[in-house]
Amino acid sequence: MDTKQEVILSVKDLEVKFNLRGKILHAIRGVSLDLHKSESLAIVGESGSGKSVFVKSFMGLLDSNGYVSAGRIEYDGKNLAEYTKDKEWRKIRGGEIAMVLQDPMTSLNPLKTVGKQICEALKLHGNMPKSKMKDAAVEILRDVGIPDPEKRFSQYPHEFSGGMRQRVVIAIAVACNPKILICDEPTTALDVTIQAQILHLLKNLKEKYDLTTIYITHDLGVVANVADRIAVMYAGDIVEIGTCEEVFYNPQHPYTWALLSSLPQLGVKGQELFSIKGTPPNLFHQVEGDAFAPRNPQALNIDFAERPPYFEVSPTHKARTWLLDPRAPKVEPPESIRNIRGLKPLLNPEFVKLAAGGASDE
Amino acid sequence: MLKYIAKRLLRSLVTLAIVITIIFSLLRLMPIEGYFPNYDKLSPGQIQASLTSMGLLDPLPVQLWNFISGVFQGDLGTSLIYRVNVPITQIIAEKAPISIELGLLSVGLSLVVGIPLGVGMALASLVKQKKGVPSLAKKTALGKCMDAVGMFFATIWEKLGTIFIVVIQAVPAAVYYLFIQLYGTDLFGIPTLFNKNNYATWILPVVSLALGNIAYYAMWLRRYMTDEINKDYVQLARAKGVSSSGIMFRHVFRNAFVPMIQYLPGSILFTMMGSIYVESLYSIPGMGGLLVNVIQRQDNTMVQALVLIYSVISIVALILGDILMSIADPRIKLGKKEEAR
Amino acid sequence: MAYRNKKTKILQDSMEAHMKASFSPEEAFAFAHHDAADAERGGYSNYSYWRSTFQAFKKNKVAVFFVFVVVILLLFTFIQPILPNQKDPLLIYEDANGQRLSNLSPNGEFWFGTDSIGRDMWSRIWSATRTSLFIGFAVAGVEIVLGILVGVLWGYVRKLDFLFTELYNVFDNIPQTILLILISYIMRPSISTLIFAMCLTSWLQMARFVRNQIIIIRDRDYNLASRCLGTSTFRIIFRNLLPYLVSVIMLRIALTIPSAISNEVFITYIGLGVPTYTPSLGNLINEGRKLMMDPALRYQLIFPTVVLSIVTISFYIVGNAFADAADPKNHR
Repeated sequence: MDTKQEVILSVKDLEVKFNLRGKILHAIRGVSLDLHKSESLAIVGESGSGKSVFVKSFMGLLDSNGYVSAGRIEYDGKNLAEYTKDKEWRKIRGGEIAMVLQDPMTSLNPLKTVGKQICEALKLHGNMPKSKMKDAAVEILRDVGIPDPEKRFSQYPHEFSGGMRQRVVIAIAVACNPKILICDEPTTALDVTIQAQILHLLKNLKEKYDLTTIYITHDLGVVANVADRIAVMYAGDIVEIGTCEEVFYNPQHPYTWALLSSLPQLGVKGQELFSIKGTPPNLFHQVEGDAFAPRNPQALNIDFAERPPYFEVSPTHKARTWLLDPRAPKVEPPESIRNIRGLKPLLNPEFVKLAAGGASDE
Repeated sequence: MLKYIAKRLLRSLVTLAIVITIIFSLLRLMPIEGYFPNYDKLSPGQIQASLTSMGLLDPLPVQLWNFISGVFQGDLGTSLIYRVNVPITQIIAEKAPISIELGLLSVGLSLVVGIPLGVGMALASLVKQKKGVPSLAKKTALGKCMDAVGMFFATIWEKLGTIFIVVIQAVPAAVYYLFIQLYGTDLFGIPTLFNKNNYATWILPVVSLALGNIAYYAMWLRRYMTDEINKDYVQLARAKGVSSSGIMFRHVFRNAFVPMIQYLPGSILFTMMGSIYVESLYSIPGMGGLLVNVIQRQDNTMVQALVLIYSVISIVALILGDILMSIADPRIKLGKKEEAR
Repeated sequence: MAYRNKKTKILQDSMEAHMKASFSPEEAFAFAHHDAADAERGGYSNYSYWRSTFQAFKKNKVAVFFVFVVVILLLFTFIQPILPNQKDPLLIYEDANGQRLSNLSPNGEFWFGTDSIGRDMWSRIWSATRTSLFIGFAVAGVEIVLGILVGVLWGYVRKLDFLFTELYNVFDNIPQTILLILISYIMRPSISTLIFAMCLTSWLQMARFVRNQIIIIRDRDYNLASRCLGTSTFRIIFRNLLPYLVSVIMLRIALTIPSAISNEVFITYIGLGVPTYTPSLGNLINEGRKLMMDPALRYQLIFPTVVLSIVTISFYIVGNAFADAADPKNHR
């Protein structure tokens, strides 16, 4: 993957804050990111790391007490960070950037038929005559793999299973005809067998509609299956970003090490599974230095004092850690993650196809 | 859905029958003075003879059977003291229309006022969440001024609305009805007593009856809307590009209004009970005032008829609410009856 | 909140200590001292239900104010008769010539004036408040005891569930006000009649609430897990139910008092309430109502209604605020 790819969305030094009962929470602390056209980027991190907030700021979907306090979000020659009006955002939402939410059980309006909810999207983002809308919606339902779409069109969400509902949510996103599709933990709430099918579907749709996709997840298994590039987020900052291969096989940031070490697949039978000790920092306070330092047993003195800059490992791979400074002592990544290549099921793309072909939904 | 409604109706009929039996049995305990206009002047023998001839000494099931079969022939008995020997159906036929008119007017008024109040309060709390959130947009002085004014009105609206709801819910209706009568008639120069043909005299009773329901609707609508606004599907709707007003009305308001339907029976009941008091305060010749009147005059057969009528109306209102809910919410027919609420 | 701040303060301090030592380049890239316990301190403090409830309640300034009102009101209502210079609420006062001192406006002698037959309004109002509060507490007490007993039985004994649920569905359909009127009509008017009539069905809601809580607690996944580890069901129910019970008891007391007072006023108006010689808020308001069209005598309606409104509003606000504070959803 080369660096000269067309950039579709560019985030520069973004800061997002929340007002919580008079106190300020720094949810995103100066994040920069270039999203390449047609790529598939995964943002990983534990809950509370700010990954959802980060992508929601691209669509103006922050909760009403949250706001972008600094930085730029450039898309199509415009700076989205300056958008304040509903009217401006509506040109972006759906039509340019669409979103699939985590929990399909709650993300559909329970009192409207599935067809109506898809048609609402069609109506907003295309100038289709009303008469053709139903056919188009049925076609999309077929595309996302819902059997018997004509009949399903006029059913209510409660008549669908979890996996099927997520397909409907995806259908709604696709119906908007977006260029970027953000999937916020699209499979977390689903059964394992259905997870693979949904990922498979998303991959197919990406090809068919030429979408640029962002996955937000804490599940590294998902990441390995779908992502071209991985951004690792911790405490409102991207600490490491690189291609899938680079991050998995040559991780540089101690947090990435810890995250990879906690993969259950890496555990040795009879030994306790690895878990990251401690809790993420309280973002109500100014974070000094490397946010991960207090939880890092091998932190350096400077980690507590000064925030590390990005060090480039390769043109596509960079990490925010003092360990990459030439003056730093040599610290080896933990033993366990050096064997990560041996983990066939995790990284084998065939695994997804196998699961998808193996069982039909439900 | 029809199957659900049929099942629900059948259950309700059984409930209705049981409730009527219970109340009818309780009614047998009414003081026997209430059966005679001239109780003090009668000898025990005479009393015994009359009670027997009225069938009041028959076994309970027989009495219930006689009463029910009477009802199906349009016979609720005759008044014994209030208007001697006049059929109760005739008295009620005279009184009911005005109570129904009064009730409908007040429920209508409470919907017209209560819904905007509740919606406004939900919106106001949304606006208030933005308090202290700086905006990056470059705004003119006028724009900033408008924001401040908006925030001010939102705060006022929410505060006043909350105070109104608390006062109306906490202070007994019997008390604020009195003050409306006291100061309403003084301030607006409206005659204290009701006159069917003078429309000004309708205002105070209708407003009095509506206040409780206004507070009730506003409180629940606000709560449901706030609940709905925070749901995921609203975020999805926003993410697909629906406008704020579209979200508010096509999604949030519609969905918040559905659970409100289950409060309709409650508010009918509330209006009914309120009318007992309001009608007698303003001497309105309706059913509510009638009930107070016959209780004070101790007319047993009238009390019996009215108590049973009120019970039936309230149970029918509950059934109506359930059926309306099952029409408005597609999830109900699948769920089990109570849990789905 | 204070507790949490203290913890984060410790962390702040320790971080500052790290920073204050200005490092030489060699030192800067040396390994820092690592304390595993330090790492745990970074986030958010542990959680206690009662402390959070109290914190949440304390934040509601209006409710805190009304708590004081309730406390002062309760205290005053009950100690009022033993204060000096208090008059007898039942005594008819006469002047030197044996004339009744009726309809006297408020003055230094009779603080709230006298009523139409010359009794002291001030002491009558407090006596009436005692009566009304007594009715309210009695109804709330019966509701709580009966509600919890039946609710626990209903939820705990699975075999009874069907029977109780059907019974509930029938009895819940009987309109309470109608039952109240009916019972008051067939029994002799008295305080105990009123209490009985109000208690008859009001405990149903409480029982149902307790039953639902028990079933939820019994069948929640984490409690199933806990049961698998050998905790007894009774213990689980007790541990989980207690916080709910305490908060629901508070709420019931707080909300039953306004509604009991309201019912008493209503039933008294119909003519089925407490006998007129017993001072009760309903009786006082009813007497005041008869005179209200005369502006000079309006004080006889206004004083009792003001006291009544203060009582009902403060109980209502405190009850609701407590219910909100006790809801774990509001403990952020």
